Amino acid sequence: MTVRRALLPGALLVLLAVWPWVAPRYFVFLASVVLVNAIVALGLNLLSGYTNQLSFGHAGFFAIGAYTAAVLTLRAPGVPVLVTLAVAGALTALVGLAFGVPCLRLGGLYLTMATLAFGFVIAEILLNLDTLTNGADGLRVPPARLGALAFATDTSRYYLTAAVATVLVAAAVNLVGTRTGRAFLAIRESEIAAQASGVPVAAYKTLAFGLSAFYTGVAGGLFAFVVGFLSPDAFDVFLSVDFVVMIIVGGLGSVPGSILGATIVTVLHDGLAAFQNYRPLIFGAILIACMLFMPGGVTAAWSRVARR
Amino acid sequence: MHFVFCLVTVALALGAAAPAAAQQGVTDTEIVLGCSNSFSGPLAYTGEQATRFGVDLYFKALNDAGGVNGRKVRTVYYDDGYKPQEAVANTRKLVEQDKIFAVIAPQGTPPVMATLEYLEENRVPLLFPFQGSPVIRGKKYVFSGMTLYDRQSRMMIDYLVGPRKLKSFGVLYQDDDYGKAFLAAFEKDLARHALKLTATESVKRGVTDVSAQMAKLRAAAPQAVFLVLTPGPGAQALKERQKIGWNDVVMVSSGPLTDEKYLALAGDASEGVEGLSLWPDPVTSDLPGMKTYREAMQKHFGKNEPNRYSLSGYFAAMLFTEGARRAGKNLTRETLVSALEGINGFQSGILPPVSIGADHETQRQGFWVRVEQGRFKQLTDWLKSD
Repeated sequence: MTVRRALLPGALLVLLAVWPWVAPRYFVFLASVVLVNAIVALGLNLLSGYTNQLSFGHAGFFAIGAYTAAVLTLRAPGVPVLVTLAVAGALTALVGLAFGVPCLRLGGLYLTMATLAFGFVIAEILLNLDTLTNGADGLRVPPARLGALAFATDTSRYYLTAAVATVLVAAAVNLVGTRTGRAFLAIRESEIAAQASGVPVAAYKTLAFGLSAFYTGVAGGLFAFVVGFLSPDAFDVFLSVDFVVMIIVGGLGSVPGSILGATIVTVLHDGLAAFQNYRPLIFGAILIACMLFMPGGVTAAWSRVARR
Repeated sequence: MHFVFCLVTVALALGAAAPAAAQQGVTDTEIVLGCSNSFSGPLAYTGEQATRFGVDLYFKALNDAGGVNGRKVRTVYYDDGYKPQEAVANTRKLVEQDKIFAVIAPQGTPPVMATLEYLEENRVPLLFPFQGSPVIRGKKYVFSGMTLYDRQSRMMIDYLVGPRKLKSFGVLYQDDDYGKAFLAAFEKDLARHALKLTATESVKRGVTDVSAQMAKLRAAAPQAVFLVLTPGPGAQALKERQKIGWNDVVMVSSGPLTDEKYLALAGDASEGVEGLSLWPDPVTSDLPGMKTYREAMQKHFGKNEPNRYSLSGYFAAMLFTEGARRAGKNLTRETLVSALEGINGFQSGILPPVSIGADHETQRQGFWVRVEQGRFKQLTDWLKSD
């Protein structure tokens, strides 16, 4: 059983390692975007899937991470990329914690509204903080560096993204089994029951916000390097909705689901490159269909099929 | 972790050694061009008109007549909704998956800037983008489309200070590359006449309420106010001026703003507005090239009104075709670049004779217009910016 369990992740890791050698150049870039989105989906899932707080503002956290990494790389080119990403994640986490505290009082629809507003506010701040973000003109991001190594090619950026994603996925998988992970799940099932069992609900809900923001911030930093150009226009509400679609399609509260959802949505998004107009319509339809016919997303549907 | 870094190093070495594929997108019978443009978002109309009703309009007529040197032209477009990160992904898809020969007529300063470095690195020609920021000057594979903003400023200032004898100027500009490029150029050109800007006010992109800015500009009482905006806020500024009854001022629109959409939005508030026009009137001009353009539009897209955006795409396609024709049977990115550089006195029947040369600027002129009964009336001949 344990051998079989290790089989799929092992195969995925091998695929991850050889991908740039088997795939055409564009798909190496696309895979980097998939990995970035998978990290965001994981982060969002920690919040929405595990503690049941749905966020429509993750584009905001994503933007903070992206701009932090970009500005840091521009101002201090010598900083190693891993430090840059850690700073991007940490700063985003701080914002997440600060935002999570007032959100404790909010539930359901009101929380969603607050996160939605958060996304708008961040985009507006980026637009108006000209001296740092270059406003509407956008910011060109120089290649990430690690000592003498510059991540200037698609393949190198891909490996950077893949390495960071692997570490973060492993961390998320392990988290679920810890006291914190169990506390998150208890909160999802019932806040009152969790409280009655001695779980400090407020602390864990805030922690979930911070953790989720950390993941999203790191992903934002990677995004800045993968795409190479940032502008406030990139981080609109549709991006937040895309993130939510990823975890709902993939499966709420599931690590493989996050990765699968991110892959499906990113590839679909790419396939629809000529029809952005219809994208919200198509993604909206998918979202509704998933909620009606496939609660728990692709992963839950798959395990139902597998059980039969 | 160590393993991954080994892989990274190997990958870097491989990446450095891999030569760029040459002459992709050209066969004996076909040339593939493309661009990422706005088909949704704030500039969807402009993007759609410039590409599907402009570039494609010219190529339809060209392909019907047998193409260029026996090759027909096919175009591929993707939608970026004016988002730079989508423009990057789309452009990479075009170059790496659709294997286009060159990028033609993309739109908007941020999306174009976001792809600039990638295209130069991969030696993909970027032809005639619909934006005029001087930043794109001096790049080997980039040819500008629209008359660059510093040239526009020079013509506007020289005309207003010279023949029109105006002395004090205010500016209402969009707070981005577009607005700031104009602002810097205005200051420089006024300094040549020993003048200064009396008042400057900025508008954030996407904001439409400009009443506070207009009030401040009025307090400074300049004789003329330059509007360096997009159609929405531009029209709003005109309505605001009408509302506060500020009549003793000449409102002057920048080249990209001087279009029919802006007039339509402003309604009767646009009467008397002046501006720099970069294109002949698409509906009324009787230049030979303009007649051909309207006939083609009537034939292929009978329901679509002729307009400046589709005209700009149509002209871009025409210029590409002239370059490809001169490059001859051996069409590569290098021969295209030198062929375009060699264009001298090309008669388009739309703009004055086009000479490109080493600076890669395809347009350097504009003429003065004033709005009379809802249409632009030409006041001067083509103005020069050299």
